Amino acid sequence: MKNSNRSNMCVPLLIPRSYKTSEENKTGSWRFLRPRYLEKTAPCSSVCPVGQDIPRIQMLAVQGSFKEAWELLLSENPFPGTCGRVCFHPCESACNRLEFDEAVAIRMIERFLADTASRYELQPRLNKLAEKGKKVAIIGSGPGGLSAAYFLALLGYSCDVFESSNKPGGMLRWAIPFYRLPLKVLEEEIARIESLGVRIFCNHHVEFEKFKHLRSNYDAIFVSCGYQKGRRLNIPGEESPGVEDGLTFLRELKRDPSSPSLHGSVAVIGGGNTAIDVARSVLRCGAKPVIVYRRRKEDMRAFGEEIKMALDEGVRIEELKSPLKIEKKESGVILTLQKMKVAGIDESGRAAIEPDNTDPEIVSYDRVFVAIGTEPSEPWYVCDSCSGKDIKLYNSVMRFDGQFPVIFGGDLTTEAKTVTNAIASGKEAAMALDVLFRIGKDFVLPKISRCRVGNGLSVSMEIYLNGERKNRVSHVVSYAEINTDYFNLIPRTPQPRLLREERINSFSEIDLKISGSVAMKEAGRCFNCGICNHCDNCYLFCPEIAVKRQDSEEGGLRAINYDYCKGCGLCVVECPRNAMVLEEESA
Amino acid sequence: MKTVMEGSHAVAEAVKLARVQVISAYPITPQTHIVERLSEYCADGSLDAKFLRVESEHSAMAALIGASSTGVRTFTATSSQGLALMHELLHWASGARLPIVMAEVNRAMAPGWNIWTDQTDSLSQRDTGWIQIYCEDGQEALDRTLQAFRLAESVNLPAMVILDAFFLSHTYEPVDIPDQAKVDEFLPPYEPKFLLDPGNPCAFNQLAPPDVYMEMRFSIQTAMQSAIGVLEEIQNDFSEIFERSYGSIEPVECDDADIILVTSGTVTSTCKEVIEKLRSAGEKVGLLKISLFRPFPGEAVRKVLSRTRKVAVVDRNCSFGSGGIFAQEIRSALCNVPDHPLVYGYVAGLGGRDITPELLEDIYWQTKNTDFPELDSFWMGIREVKDGIICSGS
Amino acid sequence: MELSVPDREFMYSGHVACPGCGAAIAMRFVLKALGEKIIMVIPACCWSIIAGPYPMSTLRVPVLHTALETGGSVASGIKAAIEVRGDHETTVVTWAGDGGTFDIGFQALSGAVERNEDFIYICYDNEAYMNTGIQRSSSTPYGAWTTTTPGQDWKKMRKKNIVEALVAHRIRYAATANIAFPEDLINKVKKAKNMKGSRFIHIFSTCPTGWRVPSEMSIKIARMAVQTNIFPLYEVENGVEYTINYRPKGYLVKEYFKLQGRFSHLTEEDLDQIQEMVEEDWKLLLRKAGVFSGS
Repeated sequence: MKNSNRSNMCVPLLIPRSYKTSEENKTGSWRFLRPRYLEKTAPCSSVCPVGQDIPRIQMLAVQGSFKEAWELLLSENPFPGTCGRVCFHPCESACNRLEFDEAVAIRMIERFLADTASRYELQPRLNKLAEKGKKVAIIGSGPGGLSAAYFLALLGYSCDVFESSNKPGGMLRWAIPFYRLPLKVLEEEIARIESLGVRIFCNHHVEFEKFKHLRSNYDAIFVSCGYQKGRRLNIPGEESPGVEDGLTFLRELKRDPSSPSLHGSVAVIGGGNTAIDVARSVLRCGAKPVIVYRRRKEDMRAFGEEIKMALDEGVRIEELKSPLKIEKKESGVILTLQKMKVAGIDESGRAAIEPDNTDPEIVSYDRVFVAIGTEPSEPWYVCDSCSGKDIKLYNSVMRFDGQFPVIFGGDLTTEAKTVTNAIASGKEAAMALDVLFRIGKDFVLPKISRCRVGNGLSVSMEIYLNGERKNRVSHVVSYAEINTDYFNLIPRTPQPRLLREERINSFSEIDLKISGSVAMKEAGRCFNCGICNHCDNCYLFCPEIAVKRQDSEEGGLRAINYDYCKGCGLCVVECPRNAMVLEEESA
Repeated sequence: MKTVMEGSHAVAEAVKLARVQVISAYPITPQTHIVERLSEYCADGSLDAKFLRVESEHSAMAALIGASSTGVRTFTATSSQGLALMHELLHWASGARLPIVMAEVNRAMAPGWNIWTDQTDSLSQRDTGWIQIYCEDGQEALDRTLQAFRLAESVNLPAMVILDAFFLSHTYEPVDIPDQAKVDEFLPPYEPKFLLDPGNPCAFNQLAPPDVYMEMRFSIQTAMQSAIGVLEEIQNDFSEIFERSYGSIEPVECDDADIILVTSGTVTSTCKEVIEKLRSAGEKVGLLKISLFRPFPGEAVRKVLSRTRKVAVVDRNCSFGSGGIFAQEIRSALCNVPDHPLVYGYVAGLGGRDITPELLEDIYWQTKNTDFPELDSFWMGIREVKDGIICSGS
Repeated sequence: MELSVPDREFMYSGHVACPGCGAAIAMRFVLKALGEKIIMVIPACCWSIIAGPYPMSTLRVPVLHTALETGGSVASGIKAAIEVRGDHETTVVTWAGDGGTFDIGFQALSGAVERNEDFIYICYDNEAYMNTGIQRSSSTPYGAWTTTTPGQDWKKMRKKNIVEALVAHRIRYAATANIAFPEDLINKVKKAKNMKGSRFIHIFSTCPTGWRVPSEMSIKIARMAVQTNIFPLYEVENGVEYTINYRPKGYLVKEYFKLQGRFSHLTEEDLDQIQEMVEEDWKLLLRKAGVFSGS
């Protein structure tokens, strides 16, 4: 007893003292709203004609996974290097970042990824399915036809492409000048398609009779001959020597760069990309081009950037002038032009014009090129009227001759006559044929519709092949749904270019390459609308510690522990990119 | 070692001998000499303790609650206003079952300011779950402080050792300061039954809903009640080691007394002389000194008081609207005893007014000469007040 | 995206905070910064309840629950005790609400800081006595509705500036922090942990229940408080060296006020006046930080 300060008596001691954790209290029962991960469609993907998974591509680029990003591009488009140069990038106009500071330079990054793969001679892992034993004939080796061949080959079909000219590529090769699309880039991408087993037969013009014979050797035909024929002005003197079709000029220039002997001033009639391409090519050949356009500059159908660069290079544009007649001169031609004036706006938003009251202008030119548009060169290419038996898809038309399927695509059927739309039609055609062959005609439209990206006219091969992307909903994320608190104003990376003086002296590519760090920085500006990029905000701000980070490979999201989630909604609001949704808890 | 020192310093000696580890105090007359002496001991290293010079008594008690919860021996001292300020935390300390020891110098509650002795301050805290021991002299102040540590740590309840202001705190008396070695034998180092420990984390004193609170409170009550027996044991040990005996109560000539006076604090010494004088005059009178007030030693009190005819309780305090508090407790202890004595309550000496031997004799005669106590408590020596002025004279 | 926020959790799920509670988020971050070698003092506040009733605890560290006004004093006692026991590593941390810091607990806090007690005092500020039902405290901001400042009696006193009050004590370290800026908060707590003497951190913690805002807006509103200069992020060492940690975007205060039901009664004139008051305070802070600018 002496040495203890404890009594022999047992003294009770019951104090408030914890002996277990709060984990047995399942606060999930409090919930009346439930958060979950739900990836949605980004506006860029929705307007991209080939439905690229752009936010994910940017995410991979930021992580430095350039090869993976490139392979993702290839899964929807065999021509990333090409489109990375010539696509009209509707993605950038739809980019949500536009409302924040400036659109992400998506096309620049696409080009960077393709060029990097090329530089390091990377071999892509492509998802090639087993041979299915069917054969498809493809008429025209432009972007439409080659795209169809590529996707059909990946789906397991053997393809023969018939090209009337002596080299494949269509408009890509014959119309787009080298300063926009170097030959090497195009040829590499065509070679990749050929490496899948696609056979391209050049100098093989398919006229109507031959077309009908193809039926016996093939299971389907894809027609993408394009609009090769230049439209006529239908004015007197059009046949005079010195007046040529613009597209033909570009083709000749490609065949033999030394061929044209141009000098003096050259008129280019028209306002589209071809007119601009002709004018800028004329410049580089040493002559002085003048574009003559009947509407206003802002009405020109050519891409704004192209017009700007043309002007910068010294191309003059004479707007609101319409040619009345052409007369031959000793050397050159005389162009009679009527000044026009704006008399309202037509339904496409362009100026409606009518002749001015002034007297017509008479101007001399050494040469005149006509580039007012193109049309199909043979009547059986035309696919305007769709009968009830035709299946009208987003970019192509599937027609049946008895049971035999013929799909029309490319410029023949797309709403917008662009390279990327043509590529989209080829992909669509491949998918349609695959459905037809495997399941049946009635399933073509429904199956293709399910592959639609957002609310645009594009379809995704990844969705078609049941990839992760099929879990995304078609809701297109708007700017208002982005939590911009997490982004700082960062100016868009300007496209490095050759100086003006350097440009006009040759056909060298104008846009220069960017470095990996610049590409990653620019890709980092992407909001990644609608997808999870593992920023961890949901995990960080959950007061209940109910968001677990999962170490899964690609596509792995987080897991919410619904035993404890109280449905406060913080994760959903703090997700900068709207990759989550808060829904009513089911009873 | 025998010496002459004031009561405050005797307490300080005990605290040093007890090897207290954390002291936290705020000055208030007449406690100041206790903490000043302890400050010196801490400064010169003779006491190896942390001294927190907090900014209020409330913080002093709060700091000790923190320190005691971390497993160290703790001490503070205060008085009247300071004790009242601590009130919330007095409940807390006992509810948290912390063996904090406090020296409480009985001083009157303001207003008006009155620094002299009065028991109302400590008795106002009688419901807070603290052990309360009232000291008669300087030696008892030292000894009871040592006993208080051991008692508190045995039953896990805080304890206050109570001294009269000035009459005890500032009065020099002979005090025998024990050897450190003997004290170490009597009071080993503190071994906490629970403490805050990052190696064994848990939460203390959290929400206790109705379905658990009552059991926790019952545990306090049980511990309090067991403290009576534990103190007995401790007092026995103490007398073996230090050769001084104490009891929770001390009866003086009570066996055949017809009237027993009940006192506490320094007035007991005065009363012992009065008893002697009255006895020599043939009066059958006794004295019961109450040391242990909480837990109230009801059984011991009943044993002494049951057989007598009248009990006169001297209260240096008052619970307004009722009466002297010791008187209430005595009545309460006796009410179920058949043929229990009449209890006369007397309120005297508030605010340091002297309780003289004459006054105590008056109490005796008044008790003897009245058949029945009219009031619960009769206030002794009150002067008349005319037109707001206290009339002079007795 | 790489976050520099430590991975380990020192808090369990299953606590009873309201959905979207800023104080729960604040505690989680603070514990990540402090680790487990701490003793935490929790005076009466929302966290007294959030931490779970007997016999549960939602925290993986030792906790002493104490009376409302004792945050500074109990911590002082614990620190003295652990030193006596030879432990010079464990950090003593007080975790208190604004009521127990600005008002009733101010004395003990001031006393502890004056004595330069070696502990960290963290006040999570939800700007009223929320635990007892949304009554006004001296940290309730100018303009706010509370149950004791209802209707036209909305609070017409400025929010007490607790950091500046402690800076006047020459406190070793004082800083503001905000749940919407987790890295800054965690850095400050880690920095404080490696110091000695009194350290104070004032954390802005949204209370959806008391501020009448939807639970999912807690972080947005907290962030907005910083962006509007209403709650600047800064730190002060030794009571003299001011560092402003973040240059806010400088949104108008009405953007912050219009998000919250507790301010819905304010008129345009009121908001303009508050805008002036906020700008005045911000300029004062800039002067103290030695930043002289026109903006």
